[in-house]
Amino acid sequence: MLIVDKYLRTIKNNTQENMLNKKSILILLFIFFTSGYSFAQLQLNGAGATFPAVIYTKWFDEYKKLTGVQFNYQVIGSGGGIRQVLEGTVDFGATDGPMSDKQLLEVKDKRGTEVLHIPTVIGAVVISYNIPGVGKGLKLTGQVLADIFLGKIYYWNDIEIQKINPGINLPASAILVAHRSDGSGTTYIFTDYLSKVSKEWQIKVGTGKAVNWPVGLGGKGNDGVAGFIKQTEGSIGYIELAFAVHNNINYAFMKNKNGYFIEPSFKSVTAATGEILNNMPADLRVSITDADGKDSYPISGFTWLLVYKNMKNEEKANALVDFLYWAMDKGQSYTTDLYYSPLPNKIIKMCRNKINTITANGKKIK
Amino acid sequence: MENGAMKSNLYLYKKKIINLIMLSLSVLAAVISIIPLIFIIYYTVSKGISHLNIDFFIEMPKPVGEPGGGMANAIVGTLIMLGIGGSIGIPVGMSAGIYLSEFGKNKFGNVVRFFADVLSGVPSIVVGVVVYSLVVIPMKQFSALAGGIALGIIMIPTITRTTDEMIKIVPQSLRETALSLGIPKWKTTVSIVLKTAWKGIATGILLALSRAAGETAPLLFTALGNRFWSTSIGQPIASLTVYIYDYAKAPFEDWNNQAWTAALVLIILISILSLLFKIITRSRYNIKQ
Repeated sequence: MLIVDKYLRTIKNNTQENMLNKKSILILLFIFFTSGYSFAQLQLNGAGATFPAVIYTKWFDEYKKLTGVQFNYQVIGSGGGIRQVLEGTVDFGATDGPMSDKQLLEVKDKRGTEVLHIPTVIGAVVISYNIPGVGKGLKLTGQVLADIFLGKIYYWNDIEIQKINPGINLPASAILVAHRSDGSGTTYIFTDYLSKVSKEWQIKVGTGKAVNWPVGLGGKGNDGVAGFIKQTEGSIGYIELAFAVHNNINYAFMKNKNGYFIEPSFKSVTAATGEILNNMPADLRVSITDADGKDSYPISGFTWLLVYKNMKNEEKANALVDFLYWAMDKGQSYTTDLYYSPLPNKIIKMCRNKINTITANGKKIK
Repeated sequence: MENGAMKSNLYLYKKKIINLIMLSLSVLAAVISIIPLIFIIYYTVSKGISHLNIDFFIEMPKPVGEPGGGMANAIVGTLIMLGIGGSIGIPVGMSAGIYLSEFGKNKFGNVVRFFADVLSGVPSIVVGVVVYSLVVIPMKQFSALAGGIALGIIMIPTITRTTDEMIKIVPQSLRETALSLGIPKWKTTVSIVLKTAWKGIATGILLALSRAAGETAPLLFTALGNRFWSTSIGQPIASLTVYIYDYAKAPFEDWNNQAWTAALVLIILISILSLLFKIITRSRYNIKQ
């Protein structure tokens, strides 16, 4: 009885005070949440490939310092980037494997606008391995590489590997193959190359962002595969050059179309664009694997930003176009320090023309 | 006679030995059960403390591969999403719990109770996918709001069931006394029943908040993440857990260390939250002497 009495008294005393408190808290919360809108800086959201993540985040950081515009880039993989562009949940996407014709039709149907592929930088997919006693520069040919990933060569001291590496003492241990488990542009570039150099690979496996691997273990992301190779003796896998350098993983010199063994570097990657410079397709979707030229590294590829040709938000469209112009100009100077290759001038010109076709609600921007 | 005494002595002795064995076994089990916790705290503190500095709380993340930087945006992001999640999960969960215990002693109540139990067993990533297709795709935007809604949904069943259970143990006599004094039922429920059960309910809310604070999966494709400062609920937002996930698997050592620091900060955050709740509930409850 006494307890209840005391209860009732405190309730009476507290009610008014509480009401006041609650009201002020609610108002505070309201102000807190809505303030984000009024003071928000212009922000564009994008998602996609892991391959160019190092340079994209660097670009967006520098660009924010320069202009205050925030480009929020989230690394979810090329497959994921294309998916979000199709759903319209992002302002731009990023991929290393171009969208298929079917996907381009789908996006036109769903979003009511075309999607443009804007190449930003070029990168190398390197063949990394972990063989005790063997340093950087094991020599490999496309045929041998295809046979390893098909499971036909499964010992490091196989005669086919030894034939092209005379001075190197290869162990009699098994080859452990690592590949990507997620939808990946890096996989696209790699399988695109193997399909070009091996008929058997083209028939049995083919080209794609995710394929049915005959042998091997999967890792998620470039970082996942890099981690696997680093920790596993006798392993081989394919990763982006920057990831191999950052992790001190050895990588192979690949034999190119003209018969030279080439070390992956920004120079040999730039060289790989030589062949397509004069016959670049209008939509800029192009493969440069197994390229002609004696200095070309054969497993190179473009990485693209995916942008809507017609954007509904004028402010965002302006910001995106400004950024793309910056990326084609000042942005290119960041490439070599981060182990990417800048675009050749001729392609930059084509990109600018492409960027100029971007519109906001049908109105031209540049 | 002597034989009998010896027998009962032996019996006692046997009982004591069994008691000793069982007791030490249960002590052992208790020790084993806290060993993982000790390891968790030991590792997060020893690995995370080295990068725990003022920069971590006020700086933004650096570009991929560059050392340094902090997670100010992620700390704020986690708090904002907890706020949104809480403002959905707490009222809905508590109201449902009150309904179940005070008014829901019927078929409908049982159905609700059953679904609350099922919901609490649904993997959080499934909640994320559902919110992605119900909120993100129609809004055409990843957002803090979507992340908060996902967390709110995860909180609801925990809060509902603890509120239900806590109100059930409020003595019937308290309700009857209040009613006999002419206080209407709604006021009895709000001012007497709820107040008595408040401490238990608060524990449930705290549990739900801590669980939500530690979720990564449902945020990956609702809140997405943000490399910049953002407090807008209509924009993607960063969170500590997503940063832990990203940084822990990155091939850069500095990032791996920062992931540990983020884990430590998350644990500290939850501890502060729990302390705050303890203080609030104590001051509300000091009527009982």
